[in-house]
Amino acid sequence: MTAAGISIRGVDLSYGPSRILRDVSIEVAPGELFAFLGPSGCGKTTLLRLIAGFAQADRGTVEVGGRDIGRLPPWKRDVGMVFQSYALWPHMSVRRNVAFGLEERRLPRAEVERRVDAALERVGLAALGDRKPSQLSGGQQQRVAVARTIAIEPKVLLLDEPLSNLDAKLRVQVRRELRDLQQRLGITTIFVTHDQEEANTICDRIAVMNEGVVQQVGTPIELYARPANLFVAGFLGSANMLEGGLVEGGRVFQTRGGARVDVPAGTFVPASAKLVFRPQDAALGPVRDDALGLSGVVVHREFLGATVRYGIAMGADEIAVDAPFRSGDALLDVGARASVTLAPGAALFLGP
Amino acid sequence: MQTRRALAGAISALGLLASMQGADAQAGKVTVVTSFAKDVTDPVKRAFEKAVPGVVLEVQNRNTNAGVKFLEETRAGNQVDLFWASAPDAFEVLKGKKLLQAYAPKATGIPEKVGAYPINDRDGFYFGFAASGYGIMWNERYARANRLPEPREWQDLAKPAFHDHVSIAAPSRSGTTHLTIEAILQGEGWDKGWRTIKEMAGNFRQVTERSFGVPEAVNSGQVGVGIVIDFFAFSAQASGFPVKFVYPSVSTIVPANVAIVANAPNRAGAEAFIEFLLSPAGQEVLLEPSIRRLPVNPAVYAKAPADYPNPFTDPRLGKLMPFDADLSESRTAAVDTLFDQLVTFQLDALKAVTKALHDVDAALARKDNAAARRLAGEARDLVAAMPVTAAQAASPEMRAAFAGGSTKGARQAELEQQWAAFGRERYAQARQKAEEALKLAR
Amino acid sequence: MRGATPGQVAAAALIAAFLAVFLVLPVGTVMYVAFTEKGTGAFTLVNFADFFRTELFVRSLWNSVYVSAMSVVWASALALPLAIVTTRFAFRGAALVQTLGFLPLIMPPFVGAVAMQLLFGRNGSVNLLLDEWLGFKVPFMEGLNGVIFVQSLHYFPFILINLSASLRNIDRAMEEAAQNLGSSGLRLFRRIVLPLAMPGYLAGASLVFVKVFDDLATPLLLNVKDMLAPQAYLRVTSIGIADPMGYVISVVLVVASVGAMWLSALATRGRDFSTTQRGGGGLARRQLSRGEAVLAWGAVGLILLLVLSPHLGLLLLSFATVWSFAPLPDGYTTAHYARVFGESSTYIANTLVYASLAGAIDVVLGTAIAYLVLRTRLVAREWLDWTAMAALAIPGLVLGIGYLRCFYGVQLPGGQPLATLWIMIVLALAIRRLPYALRACHAAMQQISASLEEAAENLGADKARTLRRVVVPLMTGGILAGFVTSFSTAAVELSATLMLVQSNSDAPLAYGLYVFMQSAAGRGPGAALGVIAVLLVAACTLAAHLVAERDHRRKGGSA
Repeated sequence: MTAAGISIRGVDLSYGPSRILRDVSIEVAPGELFAFLGPSGCGKTTLLRLIAGFAQADRGTVEVGGRDIGRLPPWKRDVGMVFQSYALWPHMSVRRNVAFGLEERRLPRAEVERRVDAALERVGLAALGDRKPSQLSGGQQQRVAVARTIAIEPKVLLLDEPLSNLDAKLRVQVRRELRDLQQRLGITTIFVTHDQEEANTICDRIAVMNEGVVQQVGTPIELYARPANLFVAGFLGSANMLEGGLVEGGRVFQTRGGARVDVPAGTFVPASAKLVFRPQDAALGPVRDDALGLSGVVVHREFLGATVRYGIAMGADEIAVDAPFRSGDALLDVGARASVTLAPGAALFLGP
Repeated sequence: MQTRRALAGAISALGLLASMQGADAQAGKVTVVTSFAKDVTDPVKRAFEKAVPGVVLEVQNRNTNAGVKFLEETRAGNQVDLFWASAPDAFEVLKGKKLLQAYAPKATGIPEKVGAYPINDRDGFYFGFAASGYGIMWNERYARANRLPEPREWQDLAKPAFHDHVSIAAPSRSGTTHLTIEAILQGEGWDKGWRTIKEMAGNFRQVTERSFGVPEAVNSGQVGVGIVIDFFAFSAQASGFPVKFVYPSVSTIVPANVAIVANAPNRAGAEAFIEFLLSPAGQEVLLEPSIRRLPVNPAVYAKAPADYPNPFTDPRLGKLMPFDADLSESRTAAVDTLFDQLVTFQLDALKAVTKALHDVDAALARKDNAAARRLAGEARDLVAAMPVTAAQAASPEMRAAFAGGSTKGARQAELEQQWAAFGRERYAQARQKAEEALKLAR
Repeated sequence: MRGATPGQVAAAALIAAFLAVFLVLPVGTVMYVAFTEKGTGAFTLVNFADFFRTELFVRSLWNSVYVSAMSVVWASALALPLAIVTTRFAFRGAALVQTLGFLPLIMPPFVGAVAMQLLFGRNGSVNLLLDEWLGFKVPFMEGLNGVIFVQSLHYFPFILINLSASLRNIDRAMEEAAQNLGSSGLRLFRRIVLPLAMPGYLAGASLVFVKVFDDLATPLLLNVKDMLAPQAYLRVTSIGIADPMGYVISVVLVVASVGAMWLSALATRGRDFSTTQRGGGGLARRQLSRGEAVLAWGAVGLILLLVLSPHLGLLLLSFATVWSFAPLPDGYTTAHYARVFGESSTYIANTLVYASLAGAIDVVLGTAIAYLVLRTRLVAREWLDWTAMAALAIPGLVLGIGYLRCFYGVQLPGGQPLATLWIMIVLALAIRRLPYALRACHAAMQQISASLEEAAENLGADKARTLRRVVVPLMTGGILAGFVTSFSTAAVELSATLMLVQSNSDAPLAYGLYVFMQSAAGRGPGAALGVIAVLLVAACTLAAHLVAERDHRRKGGSA
């Protein structure tokens, strides 16, 4: 199977007055496991359905393997999709479900049976072929849905919230299986989810979406370390955000509470930017009287084992700081004053 | 939720309204069960309520069968005062089940018989209030389009020109049609009568289950010619339909009847209704164009339009044969069942033979052939053959088979099987002979 | 699916008692004659031997089977395109098409047949024109094929309405998954959509089969007598002859009807059709291209023209002065409407009350029976279903006679017999139309996944509350279909009504129509009343469809 890339360019889509997708452009490399990540209603499922052909773009193009498929009906796209509800047909056995797409391609019977066996083998359901979907557990149903889709060896695989109907423990196991399967097949795959952990753990790259707009595309680490805006920073992991503005000709960022942070030379600070940093990128220390840096009062303390998370009140704002914990360390008490030092390069100035 | 409750309220309010309307038990209410159409009952109701102030005539329309069953089933708590319908046989059944009340009408000027048929029941249980004669009705547009000649006699309907153009009601379903069939059987004798009937039946387009089905089909032009009771034709003419009607010289004039139901809740009102129907005022209502029935009081014809048929003076209607009501009664079920088994349910076979025989006749008219003529004659005899004789048809055993009796004879179902098989075989043989004849004659 | 709760047992007992008192008992008292010897009244089975020995009856049995099966085929051919176009495409006027496609079911007695003859009869408009232009005629209304023609036109809405409800209930992901795997068009329909809609289709098809099998009016009006139902009717209603054969045939009809229902249940048994895993959704409505739209409108238009032609004929007839042996009436008048105007208001009010009460009783019973049969493990629960369905095969006249026999002796406090109350008409109508509603409710419940109920129970709702808050709302489409079918067919029912109507003020429209249709002058007014009846029922049906559409949208079905 030669993997095909997906290229989405300038896609707009509206249902009546509501604009679901706005100027969406995404390039997915061949063989990549790519995630559409965003809160519900952000348009990620619509974008997936657009690739599958169940929604029509008002503008823009969708290419798979260099071929424009925007005008093709769903059944001619060769794009495999696993539905959130699995959409297994209750009137067919597991085997018949998996064989369906192959039969539609008018493959010889022997070939169909061989590939059904192979697909069921791959998902570990070879023994359950004669059951009806209603006789299977949720995890098994999910695997049938995957088997049914990979049996046709599509150019790309689309997974619509594939883990959402599984319990938490199963989810971790299944997502690893999905990753392994995708690696073995080498198939370009798009994975739609609202769960950043799912996306971070198995995907090569992620497109973060909000309100129909792609906010940022990158590897999980890039998105985490270098979020493009406040939304991305907030959606992936926890982040402290402090309002304020530039002073002293743009060399210093002063927070609403009066604390001042140097802006490294050459840093672009967008309009109405906020100071953003991760809790683990700050350190607490004793308060120096002359300090103009960040400082505040410990208002609560959570012991998490490897780290201790402090809540520090700074005027109207409250920030979180994670301190690594080693046995014997003395902890700050609630009510104590502390200064906050940011690691070099940890301070980000992000706009909305 | 709100709308649903409002809807429910409206529906229950409507229901209450309906129940309140249903509950009015007026003192002067006279309830009549009738098979007559609104066109007949409405003018009579109006005239009656005007003639007898304070009385309301409550009309329950039911077809004759349903009416009889209704009286049977509700006898325990009877709420009906009168039964009012055409078919004398229905009244016979009611009388037999003791569902009627005897009465002696005070009205004068009504003779004992109309034509050969007694107007009133001899035991005083039901009374004729109007007469009707059977005849032939046809649609002029249909006749023109299919080049049909004007029929005059029953035998005309057996002619090739009328093949597949004639309709009749089944005698087992229509008491008046039954009387017509019986009249032919009495007039021509059992065997010859059946021969006439079957020759005519070979031209039938359909045998309907409702009496009104025949005039309905003729009115709308689906069938050309119908064997119907006169007022169907007269009222159709009055409504503007392009139909004509003729009384054949052998016809029956039969009365339409009214009777008081046993244990009538308003006996006085019921008697008043009968007296009104038989009075000159009541008789005159029958002359209305939508009703067009023949009054049984000869004096009323003075007020009738010029061309109105009068069974008491019309020379054509006067030439009537005697009618033996006892004989008719003794074999009613047998005659009806014979007709059903030999004609109604085997109409296709009978028509096929008849068609073949018409073709033979046409061929023979061009070039005579003695052998073909003989074969055709044999075929006709096969068609005319009857499984039972006149004596058997009227025998007590036969009656027991239909009415159910303690005598262990043949069951009705067995008789029907035998008769149907008899007809089926004879018609098949006749068809074979007719087709042979056709080959010879050509 | 656990053991039965006391509430379920009580519900089953109540329904069983209702059916026993208002169906089994009245019909039994009339039909037991089939098992007695004529004259003596002794028990015997010889009548059934006679039935199978009589060539006419055996021929009638096979004719009935043939006509019913062929009617299902043709009715499916009419219903499928309409159901598909209106449920699977963004088709403007879908509600209108659904309503119009439903009208044929509302064929007023007598006058509908006259209109049919005037259009399609041997000398109807179509044949007169054909003969004039092309020199031949088509025997639309002759013999068994004529019965098949009329019956398919008349009863195809059963399939349309049940199939549409079923199609709407299919989760759209079911269809999309198939498209995604390369399936489209007819193949997709045949392999995925139709099998998933099977409960609805079978519900409709089995109704058509049984209804045609048991219908006596159409064969009699076409003068086809060698079918079973007309044979039974002719026997039962012959005066003065104590013939058990009519009741024997009725018993055969009941057995055959229940048998057909049983077969259709067998076809869906042990199979899972519940596709509403997410509690609704419905098929995606695809946009039509211009060419497709023209094609769709063309097909829909043609079918509607065909199936509505009797109603067009009826409309013409109601305005006609004289219409005889001509393609069109001689002249037009509004006099017929003027004539019926005064008296029709009582008829209309009564019809609305009777038919809506009967429809309401039917959907309540239908939902309850469907629930007991599909969701509980009560012993012999299917018997409720079979018994209720047997009502299809009972001639209305037999039911009417049975009611008089059983309830006329029961006196009310005022000395009035129970059988004379108008509520008895309602009960008779409800019993006669119960099978329609039952099938629709049954199919709707078959499509609801039990897990949705389990979810509700899991969240603390008891059985009754689950039924009310989850099951019934999800079944709305099916329940509505059932109500509309029961309501509208009850509105034009005559045979049982004719037996039970005690006074004009209690009479429904169908009775008023009957009263007119017995004379030549009454034909026009009868047709006018018929038009009023059809319009009335159509308005109610349209309202119901609009409610259904709104409900569908509220559940997030349309795209």
